[in-house]
Parts: sequence; structure tokens; C-alpha cells
Amino acid sequence: MNLFESLMVGLDEARRHLGQTLLSLLGLILGTASIVTVLALFGGQTKQTQDYIAQVGGFGTVIVRDREQSQQPTARELASDRLTYGDAAYLKDRATTLSAVAPGWFDQLPYRVGDVNFTGPVIGTTPDYAVINDIRPMVGRYLSDLDVRRQSRVMVLGWKYADSLFAGRPERALGQLVTLAGKNYRVVGVLEREEFYFAVWSGNALEYRNERAYIPITTAFTQYTGDDERLTFLTLKATSPTGARAAESQVSAMLHMLHGVEDFDITPSGAGSDEDAQFFLLFNFIFLVVGVVSLFAGGIVIANILLASVVERVREFGTRMALGASGAQIFAQVVAQVVVVAALGGVLGLGLGSALTGTVAHFMGMPAAVTGFIAGVALATSLSVGFLAGLYPAFRAATLSPVDALRYG
Amino acid sequence: MPLLEANDLTKVYRLGSVDVRALRGVDVQVDAGEYVAIMGPSGSGKSTLMHILGCLDSATSGAYRLDGTDVSTLRGRALARVRNEKVGFVFQTFNLMPRLTVEENVMLTLQYRGGYSRRERRKRARALLERFGLEERFKHRPDQLSGGERQRVAIARALVGEPAILLVDEPTGNLDSKAGAEVLKTFREVHAGGNTIVLVTHDPNVAQEADRAIHIADGRIAA
Repeated sequence: MNLFESLMVGLDEARRHLGQTLLSLLGLILGTASIVTVLALFGGQTKQTQDYIAQVGGFGTVIVRDREQSQQPTARELASDRLTYGDAAYLKDRATTLSAVAPGWFDQLPYRVGDVNFTGPVIGTTPDYAVINDIRPMVGRYLSDLDVRRQSRVMVLGWKYADSLFAGRPERALGQLVTLAGKNYRVVGVLEREEFYFAVWSGNALEYRNERAYIPITTAFTQYTGDDERLTFLTLKATSPTGARAAESQVSAMLHMLHGVEDFDITPSGAGSDEDAQFFLLFNFIFLVVGVVSLFAGGIVIANILLASVVERVREFGTRMALGASGAQIFAQVVAQVVVVAALGGVLGLGLGSALTGTVAHFMGMPAAVTGFIAGVALATSLSVGFLAGLYPAFRAATLSPVDALRYG
Repeated sequence: MPLLEANDLTKVYRLGSVDVRALRGVDVQVDAGEYVAIMGPSGSGKSTLMHILGCLDSATSGAYRLDGTDVSTLRGRALARVRNEKVGFVFQTFNLMPRLTVEENVMLTLQYRGGYSRRERRKRARALLERFGLEERFKHRPDQLSGGERQRVAIARALVGEPAILLVDEPTGNLDSKAGAEVLKTFREVHAGGNTIVLVTHDPNVAQEADRAIHIADGRIAA
């Protein structure tokens, strides 16, 4: 009896006891479906996180922040100039791991246009900032080197602020004057609206980028700090997307040398999605546990039913042995039958999992796709479970004594 | 040289703490082409003897040669191979596979032997079934057949591998007298065709079909 025939016998057995087969497969089907769903959603989330990071500047972006002074600062800490515009210039000249350096100054300032006024964030920076963060103007332009050199009183408005200040017509802001803490700025650009949704229930993860204005960093210093050139942050771009780690260590070493103390924090970008990621991880974990438990229970159920069917068919095995079937052939027959049935369960589980994935993806507004790889994993898993579940019943059938088996029942 | 030669066969079972001596030194010889009946009441050891002669079981001691092969030392896989190639079994309860068609049942023997294409197996199975008047029944399931037809399918299955010996166990036990007579007639024809048959029965009317009878009682040859 060759393998193909054993498989056909197995398929035939499954067909003749369709109800029993499906019942015995329920655990396997649910487990496979669960694992398919987890993998598909996980793949979707991973892709989404990557998309998010790409949209906020991509991999390889590094942010240095000024660390708050400790309660009882040491002499070294007090002696440090902290993060300065000079640091930015130094890194731009010397740091070989970096392709772009954007110094940043940040404050909350009152905005006013006519009767409309509110307080919101203002960022003082250089043209590199737009390159690093992939910022694109909807109308006009971003800050220029000339703006920085001349300390021009110009600003680039985020979409939402342009919308709020100019009565729902953000494009009208171009060329207009906006008052920032009593000083007038000409709007040279309005940025594109930035949007990113991790799920339907979560808001625009990038809305904060629509609610701000950019001014040249030199202007910020002369207008608001009294020429104190201290920075709030530094945004850096590594030479390659994978070079962030190397860039971090080089920048850390250089700044430590300049400051004499570590009064700064370095983080890679894209950390904003942490909370969502945590949530999804838990979600995935629950599904995965359900899947593994179902598969385990499914395997036991299959083994049990198979064992019962072996007992039911003891005389059949005895007859087969009398006809010359060896123990190995009987073993192969039983295993082949359970593998066929398990493959059926795998296919059904894959179908159910795909439907489940589609439903979850639809109602949660998340990208998720059942890929060929996932289908492969699902089928391999269910086949393995079936195979393992079949081993003991097959062993029992194969080691029957022909005489006892023929006498049975 | 006899086709089947067993010398001083013994078989001891252990039932709990008691040794049951099912065979106590049995000598059997069957020549090629013979039709032999093994007779005895239940518990006489005739079933045990049939199991050993059919290579389903091994004797505790004694020598057994079947068709030139010393099978008394064989176990497991090797014994399965001897069963497949040299022995054809016919059971009282037919023991057909209920889910296989008539021709598939007959093909099983060759399937386990290997080396035959499906087409070849089917051809041989159908030839035998035609010989037994079952040409209308190739695609039927066993439960669609009468008892006599089922037993003839079982005979075809036993013969399809061209065994050295046909081992038959109470072939008419589950049949009415008419069907039983037909089956016995079939065996006569098979025997006339040159096959060696060993028939185990407790029924003297069945046993008289054979050329000679071996009587067993209490694990020994009685006469």
C-alpha cells in the first residue's frame, strides 16, 4: 500500500464520517484559525508601525533632548553649557555617522490673527528639520538657509493652525502676518495635513504635527531668549536607516566630551507608537494563547477519537495483518488517515481564520493580510498536531497481535 | 518433500499465573495439492494450530517449514511477508473491508505485497471474481452482497496472491445450508485447479469434503 492510497483511504474515512470528523476537528480548526488571525494582524501591525515611523521621518532618525537638571546639580553639571546651537554645528562638522542635523528650540507662545488667538507650540529650527522629518509644504515653502542666516521674521504654519487662524481656508495663510507673542511673522508656507490612524478608535496619531508653527532658530534666539543659544532638542539623521545605533553612540560620545557630563537623553524616533504597540501585543498574546490551547485540546480530541476508531476497527487491522500487512504498513495507514483529516482541519481553519481576520481588520480599521507564509504556517501546524495526535493510536494499531485482533469482538 | 511440514509443535500461553498448553507436540504434513481438514471440538487447539500454520502466530517450540521456508524462527515483518506471499486466509465471518468495494477488497492482498500497478491489481482481482461468478459485483460494497457472495469474494482475495496454501476457518459457519453448499463447491473447484487447502472445522459434513482429516483433541493429534 503506497502513501497515496493510504491518503485516499484516509480521505474516504473522513468523508464517510463527516459529522464525526468535523467534531473531532473543531479544536484543530479553531486553533488554526486563531493562529492565522494572530499572524495576519501582527503582520498588519508591524507594517503599520513601519509606515508610521516612515511617515515621521523613517528609521535612522535620532532625537537628543536636553535633560532636566538634577535636584542637587554637581559642579560639572553646573559648568556645562547644556545643549547648544554650537553642539549642532559641531555635530554637523564632525559626526561621520550623520547625514543631517537640525537644532531645535521649543516654546508655547500666544498666536494671534485678528480676533483669533490661542497659545500653542512654536519650533525654532533649520531647513534640515523638514528633510529629517519628511515635512512637505501644501503651499509656499519651508524655512530656508537664508531665513536662518538673516534671522528673518518668517514662519511656516502647520495645517491645523493655518486652518484655525484663517477661518477654515489654510491656503489663504500664505503671505499673511501672524503675531507670535507680540511679534509679527510673515507666513511663507503652510504644510500638508499629516494623518495616521492605528485603528478606527484611535485618533490621528500625527495631529500634533499639524498644530505648530516653525520659525528660523536664529529668529527664536534673538526674539525670545535674549541670544541664549540653548536648544530644547536636536533632531539627527543617520547616514543609513540601519545606522541609528552607531549614530547614537557617536553623538553620545561627542556631546559627553563637549559637555563634560551626560545632561542629555538620546532616543530613536517612532517611539510614539509604544502605547498602541503594547495594546496590540496583549491582544496578540491572548489570541495566540487561545490558539495554542485550542490546538492542544484539538490534538487530544483527535487522539482520543482516533484511539476509539482503532478499537472499533481491531478486526479490520487483524484481517489486514492476515493479508500480509506489516506493523509499519498499519502504522502508516493510521497516520496517513489522521494527517489527511488534519489537513482538512488546517484548510478549514485557514478559511475561518481568514474570515476572522477580515472581520477584525474591517471593524478595527487595521491592515491585516493572510499571506502565503501564514497559510503555510497554519497548514504545517495543523498537520503536525494531527501527526502527533496520530502517533499513539497508530502505534497501538501497529502492535496488535494478529491473532488477538482477529479474535476480537 | 511436503509443502507444509510441522514437527513437534507446542504452544504455551500464559493466562495470569497459569500456563495454558494449547498444543502439546503436534506433527502435521500436507503435500502440495492436498485438501486436508483439521477437526476438533472447541478448545482442542485447532485454532491455535491454524494460527501457527498460517504464520499469524509462532509456536513456543517445534519446527515448521512452509513451501521450503523455515518459518518457525521468523517474527514480525518477515512473518507478515510469508503470510502475504504463501498463505491465503478465508474466515468464518468473511472479514471484508466494509468501506472498500468488492474489487478493492480483493486487490488488498497485492497492495500489501507491492510491485503491482493499480491497473495490474485490478486486472487480477477481476479475473478471479469473474471466475467465481461475481462479474456484476466489482463496484459493490460487501453489505450489498449475499453471504455466499461475500465468502466467494473472500476466497478470491485469498487466492489473488497465488499463495502456496489456502487456510480456511469454518467457511460455512455463518452461511445457510444452500450458500454453504455453494461455497464448499467453490472450494472443490479451487482444489481441482491444483490449490492446496487446509480447512479447519468442527463440522464432520464439512470435513468430509477433504481428502483426509486430522483430528485434534487436547492439543494432540488424536487419530
